Amino acid sequence: MMEDFEPKILVFACNWCSYAGADLAGTSRLQYAPNVRIVRVMCSGMVNPAMILYAFRKGFDGVVVAGCHPGDCHYNVGNYYAKKRIVLLKEMLDFIGFESDRLKLLWASAAEGKKFAEEMTNFTERIRKLGPQTKFRG
Amino acid sequence: MDTETEKIVRNRVAELLNEDVEAFVVFVRKETEPRERITVIKGPEEAEKVALSPLSVNNTARVLLEVVNNFDGKVGVVAKGCDSKAIKGLISEGKIEREKIHIIGISCPGIVDYRKLIAFSPEDVIFEDGKLIIKPGDKEIPLEEVIHDNCRYCRSPSPVIYDEIYGKAREPFDGTDDDEIEKLPADERWKYWIDVFEKCIRCYACRSACPMCYCTECLVDPVNLAISPMSTAEEKAAYPRFLGKTVTPADNLFYHLIRVFHHAGRCADCGECERACPMDIPLRKLERKLQKEIKEIFGYEDEDIPFLAKLDIIPEGR
Repeated sequence: MMEDFEPKILVFACNWCSYAGADLAGTSRLQYAPNVRIVRVMCSGMVNPAMILYAFRKGFDGVVVAGCHPGDCHYNVGNYYAKKRIVLLKEMLDFIGFESDRLKLLWASAAEGKKFAEEMTNFTERIRKLGPQTKFRG
Repeated sequence: MDTETEKIVRNRVAELLNEDVEAFVVFVRKETEPRERITVIKGPEEAEKVALSPLSVNNTARVLLEVVNNFDGKVGVVAKGCDSKAIKGLISEGKIEREKIHIIGISCPGIVDYRKLIAFSPEDVIFEDGKLIIKPGDKEIPLEEVIHDNCRYCRSPSPVIYDEIYGKAREPFDGTDDDEIEKLPADERWKYWIDVFEKCIRCYACRSACPMCYCTECLVDPVNLAISPMSTAEEKAAYPRFLGKTVTPADNLFYHLIRVFHHAGRCADCGECERACPMDIPLRKLERKLQKEIKEIFGYEDEDIPFLAKLDIIPEGR
């Protein structure tokens, strides 16, 4: 059973940096794990913790929130909000006994297609080790 | 909150109502249970029924928020430490105008967990000199024995904002707030919380009682659905919402995590959620953990700027 496990990963990528980074990874024909599904959001700061929990609730094994580097945000401070939320959400997930490693905050600029591809592959491997997410799936 | 303080407060409420204060949010004794309820009085003649004791358990901020805009003039409020914290939060979030309220601050010795006294009739329980006296048999119970759990962790028993202040406060809690749950392995923690939230019936009493939960439309039950007379049942059913009406432990955990998250850096630590809970769920554990992390990671504690509005506190290496 475990051998057949293919993680499902949801990526919230911000419109201005990370989504363009993912696009660059595609146009540069870089290979990375096909397990990721990318949702384009206007800013990483609009990713509500409820959206992340909802993804887990619907059965995703891992969630990545990708945004611009600090200081580079198109809306100046959106990624700061994202960071604050994710740091706290990870602590709370840990507290209730959920593996907080399944959630990742990633800074990826529009020029970092290679980094994006590498991070996605690494994260997929990490989730593969953790196994299927059954706790929230309920 | 001895009888002395009660008398002073009663007199002050009557005086203020004779002056420029139009209405007062106060405690009065409940007829059916040994505790006080919150009410709004409008004339000095009503001031004689004002009560104040460690049985005044509830948070007046919530009622204040609901009634303050019904009056043109000033509204007075009797506020304990945690109540004043909630009022301060509401002022900083622009829900209440500071000039419109008059706060009688009460330094609080801690309040009673009224559920421990529910068996007694209201006339039988008297509070005197730091002890509860149960009339039949003159049994004395020290306050520390029946105190609300939440008060043991109270960091601000004295009001943080007030116009006048009375009473004697308990020692503020000073220490790190480590929960024994944190020491358990992850799987047992998960099991603990699932067991706890299995009980939750999602009545949303915690949300209704909370002074900081004032949104008219809540994330978990959207009421302003974009529907028209032509919308079909399927359309209404398929309207996107984060949380359905199912009551599974994972859904309940989802709701409570989001609820707690919305109080990040705003929680008044009054414990109203726990008191309102009909299923006795330790909701404050989640709130306390979040406040602790906010303090540890971001170094934020009781500042004048709301936590979420502060942007220069991104910690290093996280």
